[in-house]
Amino acid sequence: MSAAIAIPSAHLGHWLWVFYVIPVLIVVGGIIRSTRAEKKREREDKRTRGSR
Amino acid sequence: MIPALPYAHALVAKQDLPLPAWLFAWAASIVLVVSFFALSAAWRKPRFEEERWRPSAAWLTAVLRSWPIQVLCGGLAVFLLGVGIYSGIHGTEAPDRNFAITFFFVTVWIGFPFASALLGNVFPPFNPWRAIARVVGGAYGLLARRPMRHLAYPERLGRWPAAAGLLGFVWLEVVYGSSGGVAVGLEPHAAGVAACVYTGYTLAMMALFGSETWCARGEIFSVYFGMFSQLAPFGMKEGRIGRRRPLAAATRWATSVPGSTAVVIASIATTSFDGAEDGAYKAALEHVERWLTDAGIGPLATIRIADTIFMAATVAGVALVYLLGVKGMRSVPGAPPFRQLVRGFAHSLIPIALAYLIAHYFSLFVYQEQAQFTYLLSDPLGTSTTNLFGTAEYGIDFNALSPNAIWYVQVAALLAGHVLGLTLAHDKALVYWRDYRRASRSQYWMLAVMVAFTCFGLYLLSVGAS
Repeated sequence: MSAAIAIPSAHLGHWLWVFYVIPVLIVVGGIIRSTRAEKKREREDKRTRGSR
Repeated sequence: MIPALPYAHALVAKQDLPLPAWLFAWAASIVLVVSFFALSAAWRKPRFEEERWRPSAAWLTAVLRSWPIQVLCGGLAVFLLGVGIYSGIHGTEAPDRNFAITFFFVTVWIGFPFASALLGNVFPPFNPWRAIARVVGGAYGLLARRPMRHLAYPERLGRWPAAAGLLGFVWLEVVYGSSGGVAVGLEPHAAGVAACVYTGYTLAMMALFGSETWCARGEIFSVYFGMFSQLAPFGMKEGRIGRRRPLAAATRWATSVPGSTAVVIASIATTSFDGAEDGAYKAALEHVERWLTDAGIGPLATIRIADTIFMAATVAGVALVYLLGVKGMRSVPGAPPFRQLVRGFAHSLIPIALAYLIAHYFSLFVYQEQAQFTYLLSDPLGTSTTNLFGTAEYGIDFNALSPNAIWYVQVAALLAGHVLGLTLAHDKALVYWRDYRRASRSQYWMLAVMVAFTCFGLYLLSVGAS
């Protein structure tokens, strides 16, 4: 029974790089999100100023 | 217990870490993000634009630049170059027993960047080609009663010859000499011949353009070591040695001379490739080698072609990550032209180049220098025929560093290098975008570059050790 649930860990090493990519993706995602938010805020500021 | 021999350049044996290696990459990324926000909040005016130059006592400059010291250093350098060439050509073909390989590729190639980053530009007095050129130039002046005339160096070329030479030098060591099993696999005979060829080429270029000009632009070692010296708290100005704010000299190193960005990118990429060759790239390299073998190419050519492709891809990859970071900066309102940004922020990669160098080679340096100052010095030819200093029977103490200690030094070096790079980039952004909010926004992208380089560096090291 225990052999049936054993994880095939021999090839896990091939996917180790994923753990190193995750922080980069989080940072890049955060940058894209905050850049979009700032651009949106700038557009809204311009629109508000234009309507006055 | 004796750990395994340092087959891969940086690594000795598998570590016994309390945490998985990838968690160090996560922790390092968090440190970088926190450093970024700390810089954004507290660093609102550029500080590295002014060097805060403080000249040393005049006697110190007079002593260090006196002609006996110059002759002593230059003479020693020429002598050691000669020993290296002779032992390379006439010594044993076992790379780890021949003085030439360790001297050229470890003592000089790794030792001078460390020394330069700490003490400033220490290489010029020890540059053997500069010493020869100065003697020849002086003799010519005496005989002809006029100084030697030179061609004007084409400034468009900038430091490109040095960047190309840097790639060529590492290609020779890592790709051409790829044989596995020893720290540097290049045949000593090939190293000796290459040193002769480089000597001829450098002296010819010095005759054409002048020794000082060529050292500042095209001579690989002068440019490469000089780049690291920009981080040092010591330097030379108007012929006088002095102190300055550490890192400050780097801010101007790349801005005005073309090809400087290429030098620092080549430095990071070649170190990365050297680390990845036996680790992260191993499976992919084997795939490509199989394809090339199936195409009917010989075994040695197969290894060299595959390595060359991967080395070129690493250079392109590192350049691409940096250029994407700069492209991101360009999107912030008020940004200078793209080319100016590329050059303007290149200096922020110098601490990273040094960090990569420490992380990948410091253990190799510690081990190989034991060989350099014991049996290689006593028996430079490696033929067991001489014992000049009575140390020919000595060996390397592989217990000098524990695998865990090596890992912690690597992590610390990478982290410190990237935090310093981030600081330099932030400081430069404050020069280009006077508004600190925009400056910080422009640096989001450099933060991504730094996190990417940190994780990539730690990945290479962790895979190499497993």
